[in-house]
Amino acid sequence: MNRAVSRLVYRLILRLHPASFREEFGPEMLWIFEQEQQPGATVHFFLDGTLSLLRQRFTFENDSGQLSIASGVLITGPGIGPVRFLQAAIALSLLCLGLMLLRVPNPLNASVTWADRMSCYTVTLQAPSHAEVVLQTTP
Amino acid sequence: MPAKNAKSPPLSSATLHILLALAGGNLHGYGIIKEVARNSDGHYRLGPGTLYDNLKKLIGTGLVADVPTSSSKRKAASAQEEDRRFFSLTREGKDALAKEVDRLQGVVTKAKARLQEARTGRA
Repeated sequence: MNRAVSRLVYRLILRLHPASFREEFGPEMLWIFEQEQQPGATVHFFLDGTLSLLRQRFTFENDSGQLSIASGVLITGPGIGPVRFLQAAIALSLLCLGLMLLRVPNPLNASVTWADRMSCYTVTLQAPSHAEVVLQTTP
Repeated sequence: MPAKNAKSPPLSSATLHILLALAGGNLHGYGIIKEVARNSDGHYRLGPGTLYDNLKKLIGTGLVADVPTSSSKRKAASAQEEDRRFFSLTREGKDALAKEVDRLQGVVTKAKARLQEARTGRA
């Protein structure tokens, strides 16, 4: 993923944190992200940022405005509203998008290979407009 | 305050690593992350979210404190790091860390004894 895009995604994750936490630690977190920004580390940072967001938004305390857990049932306090759930959903969506961008190969040029005890097949999928499947059997 | 409580609950892994890193001296957030990685031979990777989430709690409970910008105890390696926020271990933090290390020492001692029993039982 492009450095500028990953920085933007991380900034968005930080933006979804509660204002008090963001103002206190946001610049430090962004600085660390920039210092450690490497291809493999980006997913770790996105996951960590999202988990931090969820922890900050849904602290398991029994006061108003926080998410409470009692007898296995989730009860939302009076201060928690659909906006917070929406923010968490957006954060999770961003995380999934980041993972997709990093992990999924180009679907127009996918190559799948598998083997079983009897034979080995190689299936090559090309552009959908002229889809072609090549099967090779090895003895 | 948890540190003064004789029966304080076990510290989480992240908290233990943060306190251990700060026991070596005052550090900023990135310094703590690097120190934790060094102490654990790279096996434990602390993310900034987890770090500051824990630091917020530790500051709230008085185990960790901010180091003032003007303090001579700040050890910035570069000019860029001088603007960063530094943290230090308080006396309560040191006590909490010492208690946790004692507790873990007890766990290790018991574990070794159990393993020894299991070995002699098999033999």
